[in-house]
This record gives sequence, structure tokens and C-alpha cells, in this order.
Amino acid sequence: MTAVAPAADTGGVNGVALAVLIFFFVVVAGAGFWAARWRRPESMESLEEWGLGGRSFGTWVTWFLLGGDLYTAYTFVAVPAAMWAFGAVNGFFAVPYTIILYPIIFIFMSRLWSVSHRHGYVTPADFVHGRSGSRGLSLAVAVTGFLATMPYIALQLVGIQAVLEVAGVGSGGNWIAKDLPLFIAFLVLALYTYTSGLRAPALIAFVKDILIYIVIIVAVIYLPSKVGGWGHVFDAAEHKMTTTTNPATGNPNVFIPGPKAYWAYATLALGSAMALFMYPHSVTATLSAKGRNTIRKNAAILPAYSFLLGLLALLGWVAIAAGTKPVGLDGKVNGQLVIPQLFEDMFPAWFAGVAFAAIAIGALVPAAIMSIAAANTFTRNIYKAWLKPDATVQQEAKVSKLTSLVVKAFALIFVLTLDKSNAINFQLLGGIWILQTFPALVFYLYTRWFHRWALLAGWAVGMVYGTLAAYNVTNKATGAPFAGSVANMPVVGQLGYIAVTAFAFNVVVAAVLTLVLRAMKAPEGKDETIPADYFADAGDPKVEKIEVGPHELTPSA
Amino acid sequence: MSTTPHRHEAPPANKGLLALAGVLLAIPIVALMLVGTYAKDEPRLAGFPFFIWYQFLWVVICSVLTYTAYRIVLKARPHVPMNPEGDAFVDDDASRKDGPR
Repeated sequence: MTAVAPAADTGGVNGVALAVLIFFFVVVAGAGFWAARWRRPESMESLEEWGLGGRSFGTWVTWFLLGGDLYTAYTFVAVPAAMWAFGAVNGFFAVPYTIILYPIIFIFMSRLWSVSHRHGYVTPADFVHGRSGSRGLSLAVAVTGFLATMPYIALQLVGIQAVLEVAGVGSGGNWIAKDLPLFIAFLVLALYTYTSGLRAPALIAFVKDILIYIVIIVAVIYLPSKVGGWGHVFDAAEHKMTTTTNPATGNPNVFIPGPKAYWAYATLALGSAMALFMYPHSVTATLSAKGRNTIRKNAAILPAYSFLLGLLALLGWVAIAAGTKPVGLDGKVNGQLVIPQLFEDMFPAWFAGVAFAAIAIGALVPAAIMSIAAANTFTRNIYKAWLKPDATVQQEAKVSKLTSLVVKAFALIFVLTLDKSNAINFQLLGGIWILQTFPALVFYLYTRWFHRWALLAGWAVGMVYGTLAAYNVTNKATGAPFAGSVANMPVVGQLGYIAVTAFAFNVVVAAVLTLVLRAMKAPEGKDETIPADYFADAGDPKVEKIEVGPHELTPSA
Repeated sequence: MSTTPHRHEAPPANKGLLALAGVLLAIPIVALMLVGTYAKDEPRLAGFPFFIWYQFLWVVICSVLTYTAYRIVLKARPHVPMNPEGDAFVDDDASRKDGPR
């Protein structure tokens, strides 16, 4: 390492970087509160406005919003951390994942947009209910979405925590002093999400993405030259990966996957790609687009972020060449700190502050959208569907706003109680669950061949199998469960992503039971959609609910 | 639900073009699932192992294929607006606009 770190004091508070970070945080908070006036609606008191930004976002806002939503602290912290610690299978699979993601969503998301536009669906479970006529199946989808979003929000907290820790705040022996900065950051986030709804993260996403692009472009040009060029970076990574093993799983670390890791690499990419748009927050960002084809156009331009993600992942290997030592304030090695630590070691203090801000804001945007989506899911599919069917739109908006606060509190508990040294597994556990809603959501966009009860049974089998299989992956060093998300796949006989195995069981059970239920002539639910609904675009009329008055027509904007 | 539509099939589509778009979209998925075809170090490009730069290359290829598929799909199934009641498409069956629902 030839570089002399300008901000060499890694232990104490980095005053300049912290000041820059706080500056950006204040700017973003201001923007978040101001966002309530952006494209000002007549009233924020409905889920259409608070939860979907009035379904008004065009191609570019959607691009920033989806980019800000999908590329999260997971991208900036956990993926490079996995690359640094365990290598390509754990980290770099994120690149093929975010490539094949776009052809997959291209195929079905437009249909979901159209039918949701026609029927006023706000969440995936809304659609499943309308299509299947089954409250039980809809509830299963809603609960899964809600549960899976929790660890995902928690992962954002881990990202913010990592930045704060490297910046030197959050020290001190007691629990309150340690986590106070995180509480403050999340409180401010909660307040502007409460007042501005989806408009807040949509506006902040602009700031976030611009900061991220600047930081990454500077980092990938500047940092390798400081450590001896890319060739040296890969040689250093190869040396580390071929001489170490993963203490948790006992598997060797990976520079380039060998034949035994092909299935794991491919299934992690495929399963994650199929799962991502099952999450309520991805659907929320999609439904907020103003036209049917906005999402398809975005599928062609969003891969710009995948490129960024790949470069970021490689920074984990740059950190190996740079000899970065991600030691937390408690004196222990914490892989999640590796990227912030690399930035602090190698950049001038002020630019390290910009980089910290990029990561922290990069976590706030998706955390806001996720909490909105989880809140919408609760409101529509649990509160309105089961507790108070006659709730007005104002009551819906109120419940959603309050739930968004509760959801964030849950995420805080989640992050303070679970092992966060391997933050990526939080997200992968959620991925195992959420993928089990794929048949109900995506198959129903095309066909009603599957019986609603069979889909419910398949979902249950997938959830139970997936959870048990993940539980049985124990940390070989500590004996703790949930230590990873790959396990031996039956039939294939290789390691693979548990979510994909569970999904296969799910589909088989659903198909077999469908045949059985058909033979028994089990009652079909009522489908409130028609084939033409799946092709509707902006300008086509929405289906009027009976309480609005059957002859009152509202051409949509 | 107040609208019980009379006519509700999907708008007409050119099936051949839709299939072509489907093939374009499937190409990157298949290519990247075949991990064995690219899990190797050599040849390196500007210091980057093949495994790395090959996948970066697919970011660009996938983007181009997806955009092409987008243009094709627009052509294959042009949007047909609905009438104000949302129970028929406007270019045919226009007489039903004022009829009873």
C-alpha cells in the first residue's frame, strides 16, 4: 500500500467527515418535509396520494425512485462486505441477479400495473384478493410481504450504523449512547415519511443517486490507482480467497466459482431476481408510475445501476489490496464496516464525508419506501380486509401513516436483537419467504388454472420448508442457526439457494392439489378482473367502486 | 363491482412479434444461468478476470435486448383505448357506449 491515508485517525471521531455527513442529512431531511408540496395533491389523506404519490411519476422520476428503492444499503455495505470476507459466490452473484431481474419484471410488471390501475389496487395482496376471491390467500401474501420487509428495513439500519461507527459516533459503553445517533436518524426519517408519504423518498432519491454515482465513479478510478491497479487488486483477492475458508459454513472462500458452486451462484441470482418484485416496496414504486410502459422503459435503463453495483462489489476486493482493517469501536473485526473504512482511509476527510452521506442516504430512501409499502399492506389487507371493512380512504391513510412508524420501530428491534455481522443473510431470509408468494402473484397475472386453495397450500409448504432449511444452516463456529441461505438441493444434489428449492416444492404442491381440487369440484372464487384489464393504460377509465356511485365516471389523469 | 363488462378480450396482438420479444428477454437469463461457461480467470481484460468483465458485458447486452423487446412489444400489441365505461374498446363496438350496462 503506497497511499498515506489523509484521515489516518481511524479510531476517534472524524470531525470533517461527520460535519459533511450531518450537512447532507439536514439537506435531505429538509427536502423530505418539503416533498409534501411537490406536485401538490389536493389532499394527502388517501393511499393513492400518500402511499403511491398520486400514481403520477414519469420515466425519470420512476428511474430514480426504483434505483433508490432497489439498490439499498445491501448494495453499498453488505455486498462489498461479502466480497471482502467470502468472495464471489456470496457477493458477486448480485451482478447476474440485477441483470436477469429486468427481463423478468419486463414480462409481468406491466400487467400488474394495468390491472392495479383499473381496480385501484395498492398492494400485491389487493390484486391476489381481486383475482382469486380468496381472503385467505390474500392474507397469506400480505403477511409474507410484511414479514419479509422487516429484515430488509433492518438491513438499511445496519448500513447507517456502519457509517456512523466508522465516522466515530455511537461509541460509549451504554446502550443508549451507542444507538442514539441511529435513533435520531430514524426518527427524522419516520417524521418526514409520515407527513410526505412516497413523495419524500422520490425526491430524496435524486440527491441519493447523484451522490452515489459521484462517489462510485471517483472511487473506482481513484482507489485502484492508489493500491497498484486493478491487476494487483484481483491478485490480492485471489490470494486471500484461495487461502481462507468461511468460518461459519466451513466452505472455502471463492475467487471464481468452481464447479461445486455453479448451482449456488445461479440459484442465488435467479431466486433473488424472481423475489425482488414480490416485495411490497418494489410493487409500490412500480404502481406509482403514471403509465403502463413506464416500467418497461425502465427495465431497459435501470441496468445502469447494475453496473454500479458490480463496481461497488469490487470495492470489497479493492479493500483487500488496500489492507483495510474494518475494526469496530468495540475492537472486533466487523466486515460490514469495510467500505466506509476504506473510504475513510483513502479519501480526504471531506470526500469521505460525502461518501458516508451517500451510503446513509442510500439507506434512508429504501427504508422510507419499504415502511410505506409495509404500512399499505397492513392497512389494505389486514386492517381494511379483516378489522374494519367500512374504513374510509381518510381512515386508511391515517392507519397507514401510523403503521409506517410502528414498522420502523419493529425494524429497530430486529436489528438490535439479531446477529448483524452477516447482514446479507437478513435479506436472504426475507427473500426465501417472499419468493413463496410468486405463484399467487405472477401466475394469477396470466391464468386462473391454479386453484386458490392449492396456491395457499403450496405457499404454506414453501414457507415451512424454507424456514426450516434456513434454520438448519448452522454457523459452524458458533452453532447459531440461520447462518446462511444455501443448502443441499434435493434431486440436484448440489448446494443451492433455499428459496429456489422451496419455490419448486411450492409449485409442485400447488399444481398437484389443483388437479385434486378440480376433480373434487371445489368452488372457484369470484374473479373481479377481466382480460382487458391487464392491458389498460393511463387514460383508460378505472373501475368504479359501488359506493362512489355506479354512473359517476372519473377519467384518470 | 358496478361494471360488469360485455366485451373484455385482450387487445389483438401479433403473436410472432411477442414470441420474438420473449426470446430476446430469455437470452440473458439463459446465458447467465450457465455459470460454467464463464467461471474462469483467463483471458483477463485490463487486469479484470474473464469472470468479472464478461458479466459486466452482459449488463450492456441485456439493456440493449430489453430496449429492443420494448420497441417490439409496443408494435406487437398497440394500446387500444377503452370507452369511458371501461367495458369495451373504443375502436369497435362503439354503439355500446350509450347503451345499458
